[in-house]
Amino acid sequence: MTTPRPRILAVGTANPDTWYRQSDVIERYHVEDERIRSLFSSGHIRGRHLILPPPDAAGRPDETQGELLAKHLSGAQDFGARAVQRCLDNAGLAPTDVDYFACITTTGFMAPGLSAHLVKRLGMREDCARLDVVGMGCNAGLNGLNPVANWAMANPGRNAVMACVEVCSAAYVFDNTLRTAVVNSLFGDGAAAALVRSDDADDRSFAPRVMGFESHVITPAIGAMRYDWDDDAGKFSFFLDRDIPYFIGLNVEKPIDRLLDRFGLKRRHIDHWVIHSGGKKVIDAIKYNIGLTAHDVRHTVSVLRDYGNLSSGSFLFSLQRLLDEGVVERGDYGVMITMGPGTSIESALVRW
Amino acid sequence: MKTLQTLRYEERALHDKLVAFVTLSRPDCGNRIDVRMVKELAAICDHLEDESEADVVVFRADGDDFCQGMDFEAFVPGQPIDIHGFNKWEKIAVRLERLPKVTVALVDGLAVGGGFQLALVADQRIATSRARFQLPEVHMGFLPGMATFRLAKYVGLGHAKRIMLCAEWIGADRALELGLIDRVSDDLDAALGETIQAFGPIHNVAVQLCRRLLNESFATEFENAIGHFLAAQHRAVTQTAFLETLKREHNE
Repeated sequence: MTTPRPRILAVGTANPDTWYRQSDVIERYHVEDERIRSLFSSGHIRGRHLILPPPDAAGRPDETQGELLAKHLSGAQDFGARAVQRCLDNAGLAPTDVDYFACITTTGFMAPGLSAHLVKRLGMREDCARLDVVGMGCNAGLNGLNPVANWAMANPGRNAVMACVEVCSAAYVFDNTLRTAVVNSLFGDGAAAALVRSDDADDRSFAPRVMGFESHVITPAIGAMRYDWDDDAGKFSFFLDRDIPYFIGLNVEKPIDRLLDRFGLKRRHIDHWVIHSGGKKVIDAIKYNIGLTAHDVRHTVSVLRDYGNLSSGSFLFSLQRLLDEGVVERGDYGVMITMGPGTSIESALVRW
Repeated sequence: MKTLQTLRYEERALHDKLVAFVTLSRPDCGNRIDVRMVKELAAICDHLEDESEADVVVFRADGDDFCQGMDFEAFVPGQPIDIHGFNKWEKIAVRLERLPKVTVALVDGLAVGGGFQLALVADQRIATSRARFQLPEVHMGFLPGMATFRLAKYVGLGHAKRIMLCAEWIGADRALELGLIDRVSDDLDAALGETIQAFGPIHNVAVQLCRRLLNESFATEFENAIGHFLAAQHRAVTQTAFLETLKREHNE
């Protein structure tokens, strides 16, 4: 008997308690540059959950790299743990039921990894197997889901949990340039967790099966998205090339068609698209290159509007909204797409 | 494609272009659209999207009329009405509207209800002088499908309200005046040939994107539309067709 495909049995999300409208941020830090103010005031993002320091004497946020790393760890432990707990609550499980735990993060480097901190925080078992995927960026949720799904497949009946935890406000450089303003006006803080398990073939509970993955890395655009050291600022700084939407648009058909071809499917057979809320332009690039409608990307757009770009966990926020909507039917196909540094496009096929 | 019972399908070359002819073929009952025809149209869409090399798709009909509308055989008084049946038809209509080809409807005789709608989803409409259009649904107590969404974009809101609420009959010349159709000719073959020539070189990606942006232009704010345009334009200019155009421009 072949092991059934692993299924995503529950999702849970959490954010910091503090939420700011876009205008709150520019007022808080007395931003007067019109170009920067206009980046914040475009209507695609209504507000974001962020952990922001009070303004210093000059009216600016003033955090050292050390303080940013500390913020990453404390924030990640707080709302990261809450996301995992919600996911387990939704599945009727306790932290001690978790057999394999993968943490995905890019917004702060540390050892031991976040998984150890969350095992301690949540009181998971000492024999819980772990994985940390660090530094892969916005696409990393699907890079993490791949080994999680494989572990679940190799260990039927046992619980694998993936947590995507990003404290993007711990990755901010605030230097009044457009380069950093693009980043500072886009990314928000949030965590999303997913429970994955392979059950008996006769289990008929209603949850998406993870059918397969397809990756695509555009190495000529390796520098288009970077989180690297800025000597002047003495901090890690995120850089986004203005042409990212076009690199993604030009390439997104390739992994999607490879993925669908493997399963003998066409794009019209896909009932649900769960796409990373990268930003308005990159969502448009995907829409017009693979022929998706505004309806297909409704959750991607609404997650962007309500949270900003949550990096690796964004797509799970969209999945949560799709599940809450109650429109999915047994047999439906879904495609998940995440995009990030590399430049990478990751995709997965699921079936309910 | 499986055996077709309600439609005929053939492809042949016309003015250097491969043309797919989709012919409604239930002449005994005015080419009314039934469940079987909707299924067969779906199979034809599969073929056109996945395999066919045709650049142009022509919708036309056998018999005296283009299409007299929906076949109500499946709707029985006293039985619950299946709203999903309406949705299946609308899904096919929008698929036909978005085909990666240029589409032309050739209308002779009556184009009523669903037949009118089928003509509306095409990129161009050519009618004979004996063609007559009507949306009688409101007078029958229901709605003329997503013609409620499309018609006003062709003719304006005032004309659309009158056409639907009064179930007005529209002859070919009047339809041409209203912008409902593009050409009146009693020699449909010749008119089709001219229309196909007028399409010039057909670049499917550019056609699809241009049509999509036009269709969306009625309901998109400029600030969003400009983003959609840039995404679409980037896709267009990275296709072979535009790269070839550039090469020619630079050689001249």
